[in-house]
Amino acid sequence: MERILRSKEMAEIILLPVRHHSPACAYHVDRTIEELRPDVILVEGPDNADSLIPVMVHEETKAPFAIYYSCHDQSGRISEDRERYKCYYPFLDYSPELAAFRAGKRLGIRTAFIDLPYGDILAASREGKGLRKEEEEKSNYNDDYLLSRNDYLRQLCERTGLRSFDEFWEKYFELNGMRDESKRWFDNLLVYCGLARENTPRESMEEDGCLAREAHMAKRIGEHARELAGTGGTVLVVTGGFHTPGLRALLAGEEEAARAEGKTGKVPEKDQGVYLMPYSMEAADALNGYASGMPFPGFYQKIWERAPESDAPYEDAVLDMVVASGKETRRREGYLSTYDEICACAMAKGLAELRGKREPGAYELQDAVLSSFVKGEYNLASDTPIRILRGLMTGNAVGALCPQADVPPILHDFRGECRRFGLKITSTLESESTLSIFSNPRHRQQSMFFNRMFYLDTAFAKKVKGPNLQLKKDRNLMREIWKYKWNAQVDAALIEVSVYGATIEEAAVSLVKEELKKELGAKESALLLTRVFEMGLQGQMQTVFSRVHQLMLADTDFYSMAEALKSLMMMEELETLYGSGLEFGELISIGCRKLIGLLPSMTRIKDEDLDPCMNAVKLLYRVTGRQGAEGRERDDYYAVLEKMTLDGEINAGLNGCVHGILYGSGRETAEKIEMVCRGYLSGTREQLFSTAQFFRGLFFTARDLVFIGEQFLRMLDGFYGAVSEEEFMELLPKLRMAFAYFTPREIDRIASMAAGIHGKGQRDILERQEVYPDWYAYGKELDAFVKSRMQR
Amino acid sequence: MEQYIKPPVEIRYREELEALRANDTGVRPENWQMSPRAVRTFILGSSKPIRHDGKEFTIEKKYFGNDALVERCIVTLAGNRGLMLVGEPGTAKTMLSELLSAAISGVSTNTIQGTAGTTEDMIKYSWNYALLLAQGPSREALVPSPLYVGMEKGILTRFEEITRTPAEIQDSLISVLSDKVLNVPELGDDGFLFARPGFNVIGTANTRDKGVNEMSSALKRRFNFETVMPVREAAMEKRIIVSEVEKLAAESHIAMEVDEDVAEILASTYHELREGVSSYGHRIDRPSAVMSTAEAVSVYYQAMITGYYYGDGTIGMDSLVQNLVGAISKENKDDLEKVKGYFNTVIRDKSSKEGGLWKEYYEARKWLR
Repeated sequence: MERILRSKEMAEIILLPVRHHSPACAYHVDRTIEELRPDVILVEGPDNADSLIPVMVHEETKAPFAIYYSCHDQSGRISEDRERYKCYYPFLDYSPELAAFRAGKRLGIRTAFIDLPYGDILAASREGKGLRKEEEEKSNYNDDYLLSRNDYLRQLCERTGLRSFDEFWEKYFELNGMRDESKRWFDNLLVYCGLARENTPRESMEEDGCLAREAHMAKRIGEHARELAGTGGTVLVVTGGFHTPGLRALLAGEEEAARAEGKTGKVPEKDQGVYLMPYSMEAADALNGYASGMPFPGFYQKIWERAPESDAPYEDAVLDMVVASGKETRRREGYLSTYDEICACAMAKGLAELRGKREPGAYELQDAVLSSFVKGEYNLASDTPIRILRGLMTGNAVGALCPQADVPPILHDFRGECRRFGLKITSTLESESTLSIFSNPRHRQQSMFFNRMFYLDTAFAKKVKGPNLQLKKDRNLMREIWKYKWNAQVDAALIEVSVYGATIEEAAVSLVKEELKKELGAKESALLLTRVFEMGLQGQMQTVFSRVHQLMLADTDFYSMAEALKSLMMMEELETLYGSGLEFGELISIGCRKLIGLLPSMTRIKDEDLDPCMNAVKLLYRVTGRQGAEGRERDDYYAVLEKMTLDGEINAGLNGCVHGILYGSGRETAEKIEMVCRGYLSGTREQLFSTAQFFRGLFFTARDLVFIGEQFLRMLDGFYGAVSEEEFMELLPKLRMAFAYFTPREIDRIASMAAGIHGKGQRDILERQEVYPDWYAYGKELDAFVKSRMQR
Repeated sequence: MEQYIKPPVEIRYREELEALRANDTGVRPENWQMSPRAVRTFILGSSKPIRHDGKEFTIEKKYFGNDALVERCIVTLAGNRGLMLVGEPGTAKTMLSELLSAAISGVSTNTIQGTAGTTEDMIKYSWNYALLLAQGPSREALVPSPLYVGMEKGILTRFEEITRTPAEIQDSLISVLSDKVLNVPELGDDGFLFARPGFNVIGTANTRDKGVNEMSSALKRRFNFETVMPVREAAMEKRIIVSEVEKLAAESHIAMEVDEDVAEILASTYHELREGVSSYGHRIDRPSAVMSTAEAVSVYYQAMITGYYYGDGTIGMDSLVQNLVGAISKENKDDLEKVKGYFNTVIRDKSSKEGGLWKEYYEARKWLR
């Protein structure tokens, strides 16, 4: 630890370096506070969260929980894009910061946060750096990349033969550190942090706002120290170890503090939100991609719980985990014996000895399970024990907040809406509601609410039955059935989206706007429109609609256009029911014209693309058949189809489909189609084989062809006659698919007609000739005779 | 040393092993030649030199890849279970098992070489029939197998290619591994051979080759398995190629420097063909042949020999590509097409971007046929 001795103006300041989430560190922080009894404890963290401290240390609040910071840059102080930002500051039972707050409460010591408010940190960071990094996952306030990722460290790990910073840390600071003197432990950490800092370029500290934050922290520490000047009191400061050398330099006057000026209050407080939310160990585990602090919270939680009593907390925890993962492996796979568990424990201890560790830690545990539990080659099929162990080491604890915790406005809105619709959110049982969305306006309102909750990804409600506009299924249904279930995770999810607005509707609207900023295709944008449709976001309808318009003009992907067109057709049909007030006509004809333009290029598609392509052709038939499309579009469509049939290499299925449509519209006669069929039938072997595919396409659009006269059936009959038994078996799957478009009645009819060709009635084909008992007996005898002769 | 093509590990590193033994202060398991920590140092190297007999030894790293795996192997061998190294061909399983036995028992040659024709008496014991007829069953008439020797002396027995032997033959190991006793009924009451401390078995097994047998679960239970993965980093692969080729060249007295740039090209070729994606992001069809680092070493070494005896004493891209063809077109003729495709896309782009040797390499594609 660093002491800055008291002077006339300032009280004594003690700087404690910590690493976020470390049992040993939390233990030493607690002990040091107990020993020193400072007058005030200052902790690294945005100071606009000060009001949350009483809730954090409340007996009913259970870790893991996180502080959720949000910021909507309405003033444009952060960047011109005026974006929304959010980040998390997770706390586990063994987080040193939480240990400091808890010790403060126990001993009646004042506690406070000292970092820049979240918005100002953002303003002080360069775009794409620090907390403004563009990450897929959640961004974390206490990311300790500064300690764990640098050149110096990489070399250190290589020299010491350790795999990663986490293993290095566990070996030197956790396993061997728990029993150290607190002062010595902090001094060791300080040496390490000093080296890490020396190996980090100053520009990068500038870029991610690190220097600005330190200046602010130093200022706040100075304020507190001056307040206590002359009283003989002490100020204890708990910050990430990386900052300790920087703070020391600033506080001791070795470095200029001028850089602090004008950094606070840039982003107005009203644009920022700060709330506590329950968190889970899974989310806190660095291995899940959130990259903060030590991995394996479940494992280290055990260490933290045991450390006060046990002499060998790690050995106990390793034994526990070996037994627990062994038990689970046995349950799932069934092969594991107690002897395997004994071997695993021996392996863990042996490795600890070989690697010079006092006790086996997380890495020895993993190695032990890998070598003793996995039988055979290690691969996806045999890694169950490892996956089980990972799960156990991550832990599954979920935190809880005391009832006094403040919640963001969106949660109030959510509770209000639930009251309005009489939804039960006091228990965590699943309930169901049935909504007549088209006849009852109130039900429609409730459906919109459910849809919005679904869109916000809160896992609160899901539709189990009802029209599905995205998949375009069940559109005939008039009612929706929803299942909903409230639990703490729903609240947590709502807190997460609270940055997007104060009400559910507002948040949904902002998310739709975000979605529109992304790169979308025509298909995706039309899908978004259906969602907006369902959510009843009247104000957004026009914006999304124009975006669809724009994308319809830009997109050149045939299938994406076809999907979009289909969505639009559906919405036009449902217009009267949902009442969107949008005019789809023009958009549909744009889509239609573009699709017709793209159609010729689809002539030679592969068989696997046949289905979507046939659907698109059929869709175009419907669109061009509507009123008002008589003119150019319809003519163009048929002109293109006719041209497509002239291509010798057209996909057989598509050819059938196109001919079917031409026949249906009266542009082709049955004789013409028959001729094309004969062409395939009399062709070379491969062409003969594609006849089945041709039938499939033909029956998709014009299955009535089979029933006019006998001509067609005779030809089919000829086809069956032309293929051998073996070839027939090969063709059977495709033929089955071709006939799948007929209804069972029609199939019966075809069968009886076919029987008629061969001079049989429907009866005859359904009956089989019976085998008389004496025939059977004779056959059996014959078999036995042949067998006995052969054996001789 | 010159009388061997490939001297055994304990001879090649005799001085190093002696130095390590002399400086070893750790606790040794019974009958081990050195402590587990010294075994680790022998295999994974150490940056601090050690002194012995007035000479200074820097222990070099002999096994590249996964350090934690080596540590697990050592601990397994000190315990009650056998060690089974499994993995694709050419991942240095055998080398690791030799290093382990040389360090722990002082010999790496106490080995059963598994084949489809291995019989139970090759694993346990057989008889000198002349003596057997003359004296009747006695210890003198018994011909001990490597397993027998290992149990008798308390040293490691290596079982190479265990999965090539039929499953029922493999199973003769089961009771020996669990009871640590071998019964020779012909010798009557003296027929029990109890294993001395220090005895254990290291097996190696291929998983990808044709003609391997499954192991019974009873046998699997008696081993700790370690899966040896191919090297996943091109830089590491280059290091292995350089160091292995240097060793081979020294043994055959070829006075030629290893060209690091060529090694890098070869390493990246093998790496990319194995992973199916190039460093520029091209998607590549993977050949079905085994693209192991050991293969890359032999391709380089052969190109080097060609350059030494027939060429101008440098390694030529033409002979490198020629040897590459030989290494790849072993099982499937489609593989050559895949490599051609690789040259026509990835190497073409690299040659136009990097120039120099890459360009020569690309031009040598005419040998791909």
